[in-house]
This record gives sequence, structure tokens and C-alpha cells, in this order.
Amino acid sequence: MTYIVFILSTMFVVGFLGFSSKPSPIYGGVGLIVSGGVGCGIVMNFDGSFLGLMVFLIYLGGMMVVFGYTTAMATELYPEVWVSNKAVLGGLVVGLVMELMLVYYVLGEVHGDVVIEFSDLGDWVVYDMEDYGFVNSEAVGVSSLYSYGAWLIIVTGWSLFVGVVVIMEITRGG
Amino acid sequence: MALIYMNMTLAFTVSLLGLLMYRSHLMSSLLCLEGMMLSLFVTMAITILNSHLILASMIPIIMLVFAACEAALGLSLLVMVSNTYGVDHVQNLNLLQC
Repeated sequence: MTYIVFILSTMFVVGFLGFSSKPSPIYGGVGLIVSGGVGCGIVMNFDGSFLGLMVFLIYLGGMMVVFGYTTAMATELYPEVWVSNKAVLGGLVVGLVMELMLVYYVLGEVHGDVVIEFSDLGDWVVYDMEDYGFVNSEAVGVSSLYSYGAWLIIVTGWSLFVGVVVIMEITRGG
Repeated sequence: MALIYMNMTLAFTVSLLGLLMYRSHLMSSLLCLEGMMLSLFVTMAITILNSHLILASMIPIIMLVFAACEAALGLSLLVMVSNTYGVDHVQNLNLLQC
């Protein structure tokens, strides 16, 4: 259980390999959804319950749904799965070998100072002060978006509005 | 450097390589772009939560907002390409011949 975050991050990388080896986009979307779920689990292990919910609700529930509909619009008759094409399968296998080598390197207690020094303290260096208040501090930080981050709200709201106008102009036609 | 940052950096690099090396669909490159945004979100969230930077907790949400803008723009371009050619194959984008 000590290594649960490392296991989840390994599954995260394997999910990324699933869509970066580029099968047909509908299967790539499946890989991204799996990676999004595992990423939510990683964030929740650091007491980030609100940010994990944001990943599921906004990222997967909003953006991936839009990607799914667009893929359904522009897809082909026989989509390529990971095992049906040697290039896709080769990329996936090379990535899996890389990840297995990393796991062996980490869990085999091999210390190496290549370019960046990876210290051997691992994932249990979590800065925790052991005092539990009454509110989740991360939810308080996010809600301060509306008080200290008022200028951020204005800028992002304006950029979203301009984005909508730009998209309407692009899709108006040539 | 903690172990999880190695995997996050690897995930970002794998997505970046997937974005830069086309196969046939433009949609796959957009998915790799979204993957890059997801790995950056998770890295940012765990750094901020581990160091207890409470006021910086809004930064991952702002990053998701801009990632949504960028994804929507990419999708609108893909829709226009698909309207012209029927499919979103990258080999159709050949008007500029240097």
C-alpha cells in the first residue's frame, strides 16, 4: 500500500501509451478516459478530492464527450485496434518495455545519478503536519478563485468568450 | 526527485512524441495534446497539494479552462477539414507544397 501512488502512476503511463501509439481515435479516446480515471486516483491520494472530481466532471465528462462525438463523425469503416497494425503494436510494445525497465530500476533499489539525481526516499516524503482542521484546505484554495483570483476569472471568461466567437467564425465556412 | 515525477515526465514525453509523429488521423494528434494537458494537470496538482500551497490550488483549474479552449479550437479545425474532405486524414492537408 506504500507504493500505491507509484503503481497508479505506472498505470497512468501505460494508458498514455495506449493512445500515443495511435490506433484509431475511438480506441485512443478509451485510453485517455482510463488515464483520466487513474490520474484522478493519483490526485485523490494526495487529499485532492475536489481536483480529482474536476478531472472526472470537466475533463472526462465535458471534453472527452465532445471528442467522442467528433470522432464518431469523422471515423472510418474498419477502425484499427492495437493488434491489427504492426506499427501501433510495435510502438506499444517498445513503450511497455521502457516502463517495465523503469519499474525494475526503481524497485530493484538501483541507485543512479545520470542527469538528475533521483533520491531513494520514494513516495513517502509527504509533507504532512498532522493537524486536521474542519475544512478541506484544498477546497478553500479553489474557492479563493472568486476572491483573490477575480482577475483570473475575468481573463479566463473573456478568453472563453473570444474562443467561442473564433470557433463560430471558423465553422461558418470558406 | 520523487518517483511519481519520473512517471509523469515519461507520460508527458510519450504524449509529446505521439503528437509530433503523425500517422493517418488528425484526431489522434489532438488526443495526444489532451494527454499532455492531463499529465501537466496531475503534476501541478500533486506538487501544489504536497507543498500545501493553498492559494495556488486554483491554478490547475485555470489550466483546464485554457486546455478546453485549445481543444475546442483544434476540434473546430478538424470539423472543417472533415467537411471538405470527408475524413480527417493528414495527407489531405497538402495545399502548401514547398
